[in-house]
Formats: sequence, C-alpha cells, structure tokens
Amino acid sequence: MVVAEVPKLASAAEYFFKLGVEGKRFRPTVLLLMATALNIHIPEPTAGGVGDTLTTDLRTRQQSIAEITEMIHVASLLHDDVLDDADKRRGISSLNAAMGNKLAVLAGDFLLSRACVGLAALKNTEVVSLLATVVEHLVTGETMQMTTSSEQRCSMEYYMQKTYYKTASLISNSCKAIALLAGQTAEVAMLAFEYGKHLGLAFQLIDDVLDFTGTSASLGKGSLSDIQHGIVTAPILFAMEEFPQLHAIVYQGFDNPENVDIALEYLGKSHGIQRTRELAMKHANLAAAAIESLPESNDEQIRKSRRALVDLTQRVITRNN
Amino acid sequence: MERLDPFSLVADELSLIANRLRSMVVADVSNLASAAEYFFKIGAEGKRFRPTVLLLMATALNVHIPELPPAGVGDTLPTDLRTSQQRIAEITEMIHVASLLHDDVLDDADKRRGIGSLNAVMGNKLAVLAGDFLLSRACVSLASLKNTEVVTLIATVVENLVTGETMQLTTASKQRFSMDYYMQKTYNKTASLLSNSCKSIAILAGHTAEVAMLAFEYGKNLGLAFQLIDDVLDFTGTSASLGKGSLSDIRHGIITAPILFAMEEFPELHAVLDQGFKNPANVDIALGFLGKSSGIQRTKELAMKHANLAAQVIESLPESDDADVIRSRQALIDLTQRVITRNK
Repeated sequence: MVVAEVPKLASAAEYFFKLGVEGKRFRPTVLLLMATALNIHIPEPTAGGVGDTLTTDLRTRQQSIAEITEMIHVASLLHDDVLDDADKRRGISSLNAAMGNKLAVLAGDFLLSRACVGLAALKNTEVVSLLATVVEHLVTGETMQMTTSSEQRCSMEYYMQKTYYKTASLISNSCKAIALLAGQTAEVAMLAFEYGKHLGLAFQLIDDVLDFTGTSASLGKGSLSDIQHGIVTAPILFAMEEFPQLHAIVYQGFDNPENVDIALEYLGKSHGIQRTRELAMKHANLAAAAIESLPESNDEQIRKSRRALVDLTQRVITRNN
Repeated sequence: MERLDPFSLVADELSLIANRLRSMVVADVSNLASAAEYFFKIGAEGKRFRPTVLLLMATALNVHIPELPPAGVGDTLPTDLRTSQQRIAEITEMIHVASLLHDDVLDDADKRRGIGSLNAVMGNKLAVLAGDFLLSRACVSLASLKNTEVVTLIATVVENLVTGETMQLTTASKQRFSMDYYMQKTYNKTASLLSNSCKSIAILAGHTAEVAMLAFEYGKNLGLAFQLIDDVLDFTGTSASLGKGSLSDIRHGIITAPILFAMEEFPELHAVLDQGFKNPANVDIALGFLGKSSGIQRTKELAMKHANLAAQVIESLPESDDADVIRSRQALIDLTQRVITRNK
C-alpha cells in the first residue's frame, strides 16, 4: 500500500522482522505458551461447530496480542535510536543521520499505529488500556535511562524501576492481556502478570551480567556496552555497596576508558556478578511459582505448556548469550 | 438571533478541559514531564479549534430523552455523557499535539505556535518520546470510555495521521502532482481527526448511524476547508498578495492546492516542480506562474464548497427547539464561515 511508496520505509519495516529473528522471538513464545497454559475448557461443540469457531477466534486474538506486542517492542527500539544533534555530530554524516532519524520516527509511528488498529479490533478496552500503559512505561524507562542524575544512577531502586519499565512491563502486561482475552478471573490474570514481570526482570538481570562476562564466566569478556555508554547496572550497583570508592568513579562517568578498567577491577573483587545472578534466580523462581499457583488442570496440552513456561524461567538464568 | 462568538460559547468548558489536559500529561520523570506538558502550558495551547468544534457538536447533538429513566439515573447520565464527550476533546488534543511533536522532528522545524519547537529546545529524541507518551495517555483515556466503536474510530485517526505524513514525505513520487492524492493526504493529515472525533461525539450520545455520519461529514468538510485556506495563507499571509506568506510549504517541496491548480493552467510549472526548490530561484518562478494563474482563487472556491457542505450538514440534523442546541448549531455554521474568511 502506502508502505511501498517509500522504499526505505519498507526496509525499516523489514528491520522489524530481522529483529524478531535476532531476539529468538522470545516474547511471542512466552505469550503463546501462556495462552495454552490458561486454556479454559470449551464445552461440547454445538451442531453448527460454534464451539470450534470460538476457540479459533480466541487463539487468533491471543496471537494478535503477540503480534501487537512485537510491533510495540520494535517501535520503541526504533524511537530509542533517534539521535540528538550531539550524537549526529559524532562523526556520522549529517545527511544520513537526519534521514536515519526521519525513518526511525516514521517507521516507529507506523508500527505504533498498526498496533493501535490491531488493539481496537480486539474490542476489549481493558486490553487496550494494558498495552497503552506498556507504551507509556517504555517511554518512561527510556527517559529514565537518558536523564539519570548521578544520585539516581547509584540507586538500586531506581535501576529496578527503570528495568521494570523498559523490559518487564511489556511481558507482564501482555501476559495479563492473554489471560483477560481468555476470560480468566482477576486472580489468574494477576498470576499471568506476575509470571511475565518476574521473567522479564530475571531476563534483564542476566543480560546485565552477560554484558560483563560474555559467553565465558570471566569478567571483561562481554561487550561492556552498558558501562561504556555510562549505563550502570545491577552488578556495578552491588559492587558499589561493597566498595564505596566505586561511587566516585561512577559519578565521574565512563567517557574516560580508564574508569571502565577501574570499575571492572572493583567488580571483579566484589560479589556483584554473583549477587546479580542470585537476584535473577529469585525472580525466576517467583515466575515459576506463579505458574504453579495456576488452577490445576488435567489437560496434557495445558500441563506441557506450563512445564515449558517453568522451563523458560530456568533457561533465562542459565543461558550464556 | 444574536451571533455569539463560537469560541466564547464554550470558553468555560475549554478551561476545564485545558486544566484536565495539563494534569493528564504529567509524568513521573521530570524531563518527560516538561516535554509532554510543553504545548499544554498556558500560552502555548494554540487556538483550541478542535476542542471548540467538538464541544459545540456535543451540544448541537443534545437530544432530550423523552421518558426520563427512574429518579437519579436520569440526572447522572447527562453529566456522564458530557464528561465522556469532553474526554474525546482531550484525547483529540493529545493525539494532535503528539503528531505535531513528531512532525516537527520530521521537518527539522525550529518553531511551533510562536515558540521554539520541542525538538529544538529539548532534543529530537525527547520530542519523539514525548509524542509517544501523549499517544499512550490518549489511548488509556480512550479505553476508559469503554466504547469499542469509539476506540476503533480514534485508532483509525492515528493510522491516518501516519499515512498522511508518509504520503507527504514521498517527494519523489509522481503522485504528489495529483489533486486526488493531495486531497487524500489532506484528509489523512487534517480532516480525519476532526471527522472521526465528531462522529465519536455522536456515538457516545447514542445517536443513529445517520446522525453519526452527519457529524462525520461536518468534521471532514470543515477540516478540508481549513487546510485549503491554510495552503492559501502560506502564499498570501495576511495580505491578499502573493509571496507575503511564510512560503514554508513550497520551500519544503510540499505541493499544495494552489500550485496544483496553477499546474493545470501552466504545464510548464511541472518542470520547475520536478527540479525541486533547493534553488530559491525556482520558488520565484513558481510564484510567478501562480500569480498569473487562478490557483489561489480556485483554492478559495474549493474551500468555500467544503465549508458550505459542512454548513448544510448542520442544517440536516434532526430539528430541535432547545435554545442551547440551536445556538451551538448556529455557532458550528458560523465556524464554517470563519474558517474560510480568516487571514491567519
């Protein structure tokens, strides 16, 4: 349609699919498993097969949540990449940066608008509200990350709040939406929410560890992208509790690569990595507990999906990439 | 009947809405808060044209319910209805401002509503994020109305705004020389918001599909008339003569109705437009052709046609004896004239 008119918009939209592959389609996997895990038994189908249609409709609607969630996720990534003038000046040709910005904004808006239309089509205003809140949280989280004061950067509470907004809110609220579409009770919807929230937090905490350790257990082999961008994550925050001297380094920031080395040294001497893994495990276990609290079912499909969801909580913390 | 200023009819309600808007766009993170509130601050709110139209439409469609429901319920309902209609006005403004914030980033604009644009003042990224924030707040408010038809209408607006902006950015396309394409783009970028929000007002009031469609048509034609005159003013400014306007459209390579009409009379203009307007000499050449053509005149005529269609729609509404209803309808008709006679 209109997308074809702007050739670069098409490649920006492709970026969407490439990213989906890159991310191992983690979010949609969680949502589809959750959908099966919460499957209410449909009574005997009527002669006209109405029961079957309802089931299909529900599954299609839940799949729609997975699609909408991915669109919102990618839209936020595109908008997070928008550059300010300072960034443009850092050696990138200004024309490319300007065009890049426009495409990023427009492609993100395009995805958000498709998400809006998709949400409206579900004809469930509570679900609209949940996913609109996700967008608000993503924006708030990114702004928190962009604009931290030195004090906030050193606060574990601030960091966990930002992590909830930036990573966990999407999974928690979309899991809840899956439950609502299935007509589940508020209690079950809350369990789905809690699963998503704890899984998301566990995921991000391990992400933080891997940024330091990479695929090896040792420090400094990861991409160190966070710290080089001045983003202070859980391992460093824990290390700061043991080594208050680290505060001064963090306050100074990490534009000076020497500070990165100093911080890594303190991190190595501390239990920062270990404690982050422990916190991740705590959240992973809370996620598993939420699944185990779901109303019992004898259905084999349901039990398999629930086992898979519990399995995911372990994979999230034992992975090394 | 005394001709009241349409804007003064709803002035009190507008203040109420403005205050609620300001409280709705507050954010926990201070940078985001300043960004989101930027265009809702007193003095930066713009002419509040859209909320005025919607509030007038709400009254214009106020039909008395014949048999009153049991005591108490009848009293609550009208207040609830008015509040939810006011909410449409708030949602509409949030979506409108969100689109302005993103458009300014897309256009590298440095001014908006007489003050620095948000992207110039706080950076591109924050402007983009603030736009997303406003959109999400609008959607949460929309969801709280618990009316899925209205949700669909407003979601369509969001989609249309993006489509319109995309259409405008396709400067390489041959379609930008097409009047049909231009009118479609104008509907998407300007009129859709008005038409669908007017229709939402009607739907919330429980009106028939026919009345809802009339509300839609009013908003659509008013929006189109508004944009066509906007296009003229970009050339003429506050004077009747050419080239006194900001000429912002043409300098950005945006081809509007006056030029499209001029191209019909002077095919030579095609070549100039193909070259683009990086070279300011081409702007002068285009203005030369425009001046010789009836482009401005024909655009004004087209605007008048749409303004009259909008006025006729109001006259087709089911009759009412209520003085408030009659006054609001008169004001809506009055607006259709103001939109085409204004000179800024």
